[in-house]
Amino acid sequence: MFIENPLNASEWTFPILEVLHISSFAIAIGTVALVDFRLLGLGLRAQTAGQLTKDTRAATLISLSVALFSGLLLYSTDPDKFYLNISFLFKITCLLLAISFHYTIHRRVALADSSPMLGRLVAVVSIALWVGVVFGGIFIEFVKPGLGFD
Amino acid sequence: MLLSLAIWLQNTGLFRFLRESDHGYEILLALHVSSIALFTAAVVLTDLRLLGWALRGHSVQSIINEMRVPKRVGFLCVATFGFLMFGMKAEEYYYNVFFRTKVLLFLLVAAHAIIFRPRVYNRATAPSGVKLAAGCSLALWLAIVCAGRGIGYIHPPVFSHHFAMQTRYTTEMGLK
Repeated sequence: MFIENPLNASEWTFPILEVLHISSFAIAIGTVALVDFRLLGLGLRAQTAGQLTKDTRAATLISLSVALFSGLLLYSTDPDKFYLNISFLFKITCLLLAISFHYTIHRRVALADSSPMLGRLVAVVSIALWVGVVFGGIFIEFVKPGLGFD
Repeated sequence: MLLSLAIWLQNTGLFRFLRESDHGYEILLALHVSSIALFTAAVVLTDLRLLGWALRGHSVQSIINEMRVPKRVGFLCVATFGFLMFGMKAEEYYYNVFFRTKVLLFLLVAAHAIIFRPRVYNRATAPSGVKLAAGCSLALWLAIVCAGRGIGYIHPPVFSHHFAMQTRYTTEMGLK
């Protein structure tokens, strides 16, 4: 049985969800980036990385949740388009890695204020993964549709 | 006048080079959006503190000072990548209603800075108008995100240079 997705009933839902998605992931990734730049020793010297993590934790979690839910709704408007898109698969891979990394290793290292070298390494991995998510998302519209198995 | 300036700009060597590059526009767009994340986080954390909704353990002034550098660095990156994308398609963007809206919104951002910077952001104590400044800032930047995303929804006018290029591109890529 074919059920019409109510989100496709209006041409406004997609752009509104997109703006919600962009604003929320911007806050989520940006707050993580602030901690990463602190770990790299670039700016924000008034606080330790641990304090900064505690201060930004709520903003990151709330905005990440909004980004994930708006992302699922965006995905639901045309699932075929997305899961058969190489850039989307790249984005989701980066996203799963980025979230797992963030709430395990990144969190522990930032809170422990451990050795600067380890902090820098973790920050570089974190920035690379999150920027990978953004690149994957942007390129969804620009890569050839399909996975090339046809 | 503005139109001829836009056409001149997009035909300069740099923007010709970027236009003819393989994925120049998409890469710049992704870098633009990545830097938006840094800038947005710094703006939102500052404004949430001004509103008293977050980071209440820190003084308003310490958050403003902490976020000043990421805000400026972030804005510089966003603006640079944004300008490079504009230059590639300046003629087309001249006609784009969302681009025009975005330019107007930036004039309001400038007005916001002129009005509130001396009164709120550069003061040691929190005077009145703090919440108004934060609310206006959040509303303006959200509107700019909307206008920015809207730009991509407008197709280039058929008479512009970019229309022919985009048609060729979508045909080659087998899109739509």
